[in-house]
Amino acid sequence: MVNTNEEGQLMGTKKITVFSERCIAAGNCYEIAPKYFDQDPEDGTVLRLRADAEAGDESLVARAAATCPVAAIELAE
Amino acid sequence: MTAEPVTTWRTYPFTRTSPTEPPPELAEVRRAEPVAKVRLWDGSTAWLATRYEDVQRTLKDPKISSDTTRPGFPQASATAAEFRKGQRVFVRMDAPKHDEHRLMLTADFTVKHVRDYRPYLDAMIDELFDAMEAKQAAGGAVDMVEDFALIVPSRVITRLLDLPSEDSEFFLDRVKTSMSLDSTPEQAAQSGADTLAYFARTIDERSTGDGQDLISRLVRDRVITGQLTSEELQHMLHLVLVGGFDTTANMIALGTLVFLQHPDQIALLRERQDLVPNAVEELLRYLSVAHHVAYRQAKEDTRIADQPVASGDSVIAPLIAANHDPEAFPDPERFDITRDARGHVAFGYGIHQCLGQALARVELQAVFCKLFERFPHLALAAPADTLRFRNSIIYGVEALPVTL
Repeated sequence: MVNTNEEGQLMGTKKITVFSERCIAAGNCYEIAPKYFDQDPEDGTVLRLRADAEAGDESLVARAAATCPVAAIELAE
Repeated sequence: MTAEPVTTWRTYPFTRTSPTEPPPELAEVRRAEPVAKVRLWDGSTAWLATRYEDVQRTLKDPKISSDTTRPGFPQASATAAEFRKGQRVFVRMDAPKHDEHRLMLTADFTVKHVRDYRPYLDAMIDELFDAMEAKQAAGGAVDMVEDFALIVPSRVITRLLDLPSEDSEFFLDRVKTSMSLDSTPEQAAQSGADTLAYFARTIDERSTGDGQDLISRLVRDRVITGQLTSEELQHMLHLVLVGGFDTTANMIALGTLVFLQHPDQIALLRERQDLVPNAVEELLRYLSVAHHVAYRQAKEDTRIADQPVASGDSVIAPLIAANHDPEAFPDPERFDITRDARGHVAFGYGIHQCLGQALARVELQAVFCKLFERFPHLALAAPADTLRFRNSIIYGVEALPVTL
């Protein structure tokens, strides 16, 4: 049985937000965290694969967010 | 009438004193005046950002423009100005038009798509290495630039664009002339015109038929539909050419030189093949070959750190300065293939970050996986101080004589 908070977010995880309108398909996020991000075959822009960063993956997702050249990825505090 | 006070600012670009290291003046300026005013070739002034954080923020600032048609837009030299003025392509546009145009190409440059080139690259590299060995065995002098570094990316780009392989010589020559700070503006303009005319013919040829190559698809999906003019597509193809040729070629040649200067790093690389991707990131950081890019102009009042920047002011945010900021990369002058260099900005930052970066990575990883495995005793065949370096928008070496 999984624990979720009021927003339906899994406990011990952090929410990932993607602003795909900013995306210019650099692909750094896919390269760094392919478990969480992919590139749309149509135009290479970001596809978010999971809504939350699992416990232990925060720094990986944070790194993907930091290397995004247009700040299209945010990891909740 | 009061006389204007005479102020002398440092002239930019700064001069290198050692071939593979950044100009020492960058570190001086970063320490003393992280947002400094500099004077350019034509007497105009610009703000120079040298800290990693400031370079990133500047390149991401939507109030700062890349549109070279704006009056007073700064350039590195007269030739660079001529080259940039002639460009009618998304690298010189702002959002939203930039994004609209760039995204027409991005499907062909995704990480997954370019990784498919690896087997082709591996076979090509082995073949080129065989040819180099044969050349040396026959008493010839091997040059890493002519015999290897220029060939790898030129073949990849001609394959990507599905152009006849015998045309790569033509491109090599024209790109070199267009990009060199030593070419006259007229030479640069002529080279650019030659390349555009070539692409105009190719576009015409591929207007009929159902070719699945990139150019045919763009002609069908974007030109015939009226989203792009033929001229705009010519400029896009020219950009793909220019973006992928001497950048990668120079990284291969200079990367080889950097490794030869650090034999302990060669030994480590040979022991730990798993370090190849990281080694490539460190080479990109350390060399930052795109050393005369990231010239911008503020199109609204903005700031860089505490420095107010007025609309119309010129701004330069050199990638090489950011990549050698000790705040971002401790002991930045140390070439260390184990350091975490992934946050470098050698491919730029913001909306214009290099379209071909994934392809560059695949090529460089393929090369550096194999180079020292095949040639563990690779050495310079000429004294290091006889090497000639390229004064161009992209830094490089003219020739790199080696023994295998």
